[in-house]
Amino acid sequence: MLFQSQAYVLVFLPIAVACYYAAAGSERLRHGVLIAASLFFYGWWDARFIPLLIGQITASWLFALWHERARTNVPLVFGVAVNLAALGTFKYLDFVLASAEAATGLALPRAHLVLPIGISFFSFQLISYLVDRMRGQAPIYPFRPFALFVLVFPHLIAGPIVRHNELVPQFALDPRRAGLAERIGIGLVIFTVGFAKKVLLADRLAEIVDPLFRQANGGSLSFGDAWTAVLGFSFQLFLDFSAYTEMAIGTALLFGLVLPENFRRPYLSTDLREFWRRWHISLSNFLRDYLYIPLGGSRAGPLRYIAATMVTMGLCGLWHGAGWTFVAWGLWHGIGLVTCRFWQRLGRPLPAIAGWTVTMLFVLVGWVLFRASGFATAGSILSSLVGVSGFSGKIQHVALLIAAALTSVLVPSAHEMKDRLLKPIPALAVGAAILAAICVLEVGKGAPLTFIYFQF
Amino acid sequence: MRWPLGNRTKDAESKPKSWRRFVVLFFAAFVEVLAAAYVFILLVDPYDIIPFSLPLDRRIVSISFSFMYPQVVRSRRFDSYIIGTSTSRLIDPEILNGPFRARFANLAMNSMLAWEQKTMADYFQRHVGPPKVLIVGIDLVWCAPDADTHRHNPVGWPDWIYDDNPWNDYLYLLNSATFEIAVRLVGFQLGLYRERIRFDGYEEFTPPEETYDVTRARQLIWDHRPRATPPDLPPPPLSETERRALSFPALRWLDEILTQMPAATRKVLVYMPVHVATQPWPGTREAAVEADCKARIADIARKTGSKVIDWRISSPLTREDANYWDRLHYRLPIAQKIARELPPAVLEDRESADGSYRLTVR
Repeated sequence: MLFQSQAYVLVFLPIAVACYYAAAGSERLRHGVLIAASLFFYGWWDARFIPLLIGQITASWLFALWHERARTNVPLVFGVAVNLAALGTFKYLDFVLASAEAATGLALPRAHLVLPIGISFFSFQLISYLVDRMRGQAPIYPFRPFALFVLVFPHLIAGPIVRHNELVPQFALDPRRAGLAERIGIGLVIFTVGFAKKVLLADRLAEIVDPLFRQANGGSLSFGDAWTAVLGFSFQLFLDFSAYTEMAIGTALLFGLVLPENFRRPYLSTDLREFWRRWHISLSNFLRDYLYIPLGGSRAGPLRYIAATMVTMGLCGLWHGAGWTFVAWGLWHGIGLVTCRFWQRLGRPLPAIAGWTVTMLFVLVGWVLFRASGFATAGSILSSLVGVSGFSGKIQHVALLIAAALTSVLVPSAHEMKDRLLKPIPALAVGAAILAAICVLEVGKGAPLTFIYFQF
Repeated sequence: MRWPLGNRTKDAESKPKSWRRFVVLFFAAFVEVLAAAYVFILLVDPYDIIPFSLPLDRRIVSISFSFMYPQVVRSRRFDSYIIGTSTSRLIDPEILNGPFRARFANLAMNSMLAWEQKTMADYFQRHVGPPKVLIVGIDLVWCAPDADTHRHNPVGWPDWIYDDNPWNDYLYLLNSATFEIAVRLVGFQLGLYRERIRFDGYEEFTPPEETYDVTRARQLIWDHRPRATPPDLPPPPLSETERRALSFPALRWLDEILTQMPAATRKVLVYMPVHVATQPWPGTREAAVEADCKARIADIARKTGSKVIDWRISSPLTREDANYWDRLHYRLPIAQKIARELPPAVLEDRESADGSYRLTVR
């Protein structure tokens, strides 16, 4: 079920919230409501994968329980392997086969498995718990709150990637505790901000961007079209994914739960390291804590730092999609991060505007790799961007691009709104409600577009 | 991460009433705006499907034809109709009405797929009964091998209007597109907005004739290819295996449409005249495939007592660039010529004076 659908906003969410608060007095009952709602929400996409989801959760919990009794890390290694195997099979098997075929020339069969939605996110959450167990940083939770930590529907499909210790303790809190109205009021506004960003901007950008990238598959784009496509996609991706995050955070607040921040206006970054502290923060934190630092991080010499960064970012790319363009995108950012770090060590900082310009151009080039269907298309678009095929055409849909740009840099992050900015002003309540109603009318027009990150 | 609402919790405890009022205001405004929009849509009822809507003079104020035409059918003001794609939309019902002694609606839509045409024909049958005259503007949508898997255009088709279940309609009306059409309809009642097209479905959708530019048209027709005259070659023969491998799933629906019509209904299949540049080039396999599809359509026509008139041939009309805006769309005078030639061709089996059409099945 999509957050930005009438079925979700007008039917599912009100019923789920009402049942949750009706059951709020009993922890067991309200957890039951949340689990049932989450399974219904997930099953709406494809009920065939509910057993896989529950299986991975149960297996991970049992391995942790075994570890508690056996006092050896072997069960946890098995647990991580099981989750990686599920992720690898469903997401990467055909990619590995295709790559092996290309390398060897042998004709290999394909599995053609359907990718279970959200598998990249829930697998990572389970792995993070098992690794934390190895580090002695995670207790054994009762099964119900443990299952909820993965299942709870606001973050189930596309994050934010939540750590067990950020969420599990919250399940014990009575949602009717002090600040109930504030949480609901703020949740409604944050949800509405995401709703509007998705429906009024990201989906309209998709209508421009998708045909241009399709056109680039078969031929070259003009200079103007290339810039329209790349700028449009840059804003679309941010608005689409940050909108999902805001709708997730807003929804969670309605249930008395706080999800972590995922974006802090990344297009204001003046260097690439700052960009990654502002972009998909929960993934960056995960990769830092479970990959980059274990690989040596920045404290084991420059060569180890370069290797750790490149491996981390290469795998970051691969996490986004089973394709070499995604790996190249990750490595591109790895090169950028290494360069950025060494430049900063020189002690000659660029002026902010120059740093911002260089960073944004670097990020734009990366998005071409991220979005293009192959290296040839990416190369063709990059050539068009620098005018190799001439300077014909002009940037189109300027008003929409400006609106998207202003929204991207001016609208505060969900946690900025939650922690500092939102006040119980009546005009804000009415304005947000009208905006939400307009979005409901807008999504009623037809089949809504899924979020880009659902494919990862 | 701050916990559970960061440093605002204390503040929240000091202002619980403000936040309660905020939440109440949000819900009140949200529900009121949506309820007002919904009630407005139901009362204005731009698709004329709500039993308790206001008695307004409903006209076609939107070019969302798949939403607007069902009310044209249900008005029962028409006893005959045309279905087809944009190549049939320029056929003026008023030219046909007199000769056929009928009241035509032109229910053709841009890119109307075969399944959608079948749906419309079934809808007419259920709400009005068998038509006096049925004209099917035949395009290649009827010969598409993927017609069964691609039944609808990506823009969507409101199955809920055509399914005759009045209850599910209420689920699909709360949206900005319907709201906008309802506003236009109110604007029409107040004299602020004109009907978008005639209620019989006819619209001169091509640009004004005085703006016609043959050079521009040639660019669109030939698309940088050299202009050429198709040779007079028969289609190459297909082997029996090739013939059996051809699949035209939509022809089953065409058969069903025609079979359900009584003998009293005059059934006419008309191939519309697209430019030769977009017809299969003579001598190619595509020409053979199209010829096979046409032969199967002719068989269906003979079986169901229908007539077939073929303008989709190489003729002085289809070879002349100046007759077209682009490869598919002929100009208004050509449309009027077709509409004038059609009745005698159907009623009197009159042959074309200039070779523009052929009477394939009489």
